[in-house]
Amino acid sequence: MNRAATQFGLPKPETLKRYRIWDSYFTPSHSHPGSDGSSRLIADIERTLPTIEKGHFEKLCYFPHVGIGTTNDAELEKTLRSRPEIILKPLHRWPKLLLGMIQLNANNLNGSLDALDRWLRDGPMLGVYFPGGGPGAMTCTHKNFNPLVERIAKYKGVIVQHTWYKTGGKQGPGESTPAELAELAARFPNQKFICAHAGGEWERGIRAVQNVSNILIETSGFDATAGFIEMGLREVGAERIVFGSHLPSRSLGTELGKIVGVEMTERERRLVLGENFRKLLNQILQKKDS
Amino acid sequence: MMDRRELLSTAVTLGAASMIGLESVFSKEQAELPAKIVDTNISLFQWPFRRLPLDESATLVKKFRTLGITEAWAGSFEGILHRDIAGVNQRLAKTCELYPELVPIGSVNPELPDWEDDLRRCVEQHKMPGIRLHPNYHGYTLADPKFDQLLKLATKAQVFVQIAAILEDTRTQHPMLQVPDVDLSPLPDLMRKNARAKVQILNYRPNQLFGKLAKTPGIFFDTSRVESTDGIAKLLKGGAGNRLMFGTHAPFLIPESALIHTFESDLDATELRSLLWKNAERIQNS
Repeated sequence: MNRAATQFGLPKPETLKRYRIWDSYFTPSHSHPGSDGSSRLIADIERTLPTIEKGHFEKLCYFPHVGIGTTNDAELEKTLRSRPEIILKPLHRWPKLLLGMIQLNANNLNGSLDALDRWLRDGPMLGVYFPGGGPGAMTCTHKNFNPLVERIAKYKGVIVQHTWYKTGGKQGPGESTPAELAELAARFPNQKFICAHAGGEWERGIRAVQNVSNILIETSGFDATAGFIEMGLREVGAERIVFGSHLPSRSLGTELGKIVGVEMTERERRLVLGENFRKLLNQILQKKDS
Repeated sequence: MMDRRELLSTAVTLGAASMIGLESVFSKEQAELPAKIVDTNISLFQWPFRRLPLDESATLVKKFRTLGITEAWAGSFEGILHRDIAGVNQRLAKTCELYPELVPIGSVNPELPDWEDDLRRCVEQHKMPGIRLHPNYHGYTLADPKFDQLLKLATKAQVFVQIAAILEDTRTQHPMLQVPDVDLSPLPDLMRKNARAKVQILNYRPNQLFGKLAKTPGIFFDTSRVESTDGIAKLLKGGAGNRLMFGTHAPFLIPESALIHTFESDLDATELRSLLWKNAERIQNS
């Protein structure tokens, strides 16, 4: 086989390994894992493995549905509730590679509170993902978020909130903007929040969260637009930026390119590519180990 | 023009290529071929809505040299909104003269009076091999008879036409200047009417129209906004093989992005060579 073994634009493998890349936003079959609860998800992860190897990722965090109404598929929701072991299949298959955070549905408050007990307190999940679309989406300023954040904080979980500023307005009423996340985060100054996609339109997104020190911005989900990381470093600092790959629907080129193609110190690159995310996860990982 | 590029291949590229491991692309059999990367999609000068880290031409060219990019087809961000297009193209041509890697691709706006003269100057005065169009920013569709006329004249003048199908994700555009993506659906029929025309669609993210576009001779694509980890491989399998060209959309996008995506795509040496420069030569020389 005459394969091209080149490293176009990428640092050398040993450098990538040294970064200890922990991906905070891995999205295989993000909206639906397959009608049996796992097959499409597993296939999507398998499809991504060659890319994961090329990027020398150490860990990737994905966001499973857990049967609390985050999809529009009633049969799937029922299957996930009745056979929760299906949800753990990817973690069992790739225990050293994958981390999990459950998708929450703030519209289903009681179901979400129960899911936190089951999956964060008693299970292997490390945090939650609040979606921006679908039946699980709810604007994060809603009062339902208060008891959820309190319980997540109790279990030392990590919170990822999908955010976008879309020209022309929100894609749906449940979508959240970075400004709305800033409002929520101000209510819980001791809890860290990840502002997924930095608002997409990141010039406004960064401005909206820059003075809220318990918010970190996540880097995936939009084109590799030049100037994003530079503005992030300038306004919030490397300690508040976490890398996300959005694989496999986005590419290593788009997402890792945003970090390795930008002038920053190697210390800053290590923070963004893994250290900051590890720090966020540290408390819950320690709790689960003890 | 190609001689100048070949000189660069031996002088500049080998050093840069060695730095990023590019030499390993070529087998012994292929070693005599110049190691080239042609970026078919860059723009010079300032993006209208923010400063970009590489928006000074010297900085951009310096970056390309470190990445092993030996030739870059340069349009002008000024061509998006300026109306003195002749001035835009003159500045572009002058700047490109300073850097042997840069090939000027002039802007033409068929909504402006006497646009035919802009096309003529691009070809005769500046010796540009192609022109770039921004139908969505200039306010016409590909179904407009002016576009057909422009395509005919460009084909007669033996220059290729680049259509920037999109410059920026519509979701992140400035709220006071929102433009839709260019509707490419009239293009296959127009290409049939202009059988010798050569059109490259820039910044296109394949959608349901891709199959029809890929089946149409004379239509080329670039890689700059192709997404998903196997997106480039899928395009090649989907029929874009010898008409897919490397493009970065720099400096708006980070140029490493398209390079890494190429690496990520696990192409064999033949596919890689076609993508990186052979197809670019084909559109210029066929």
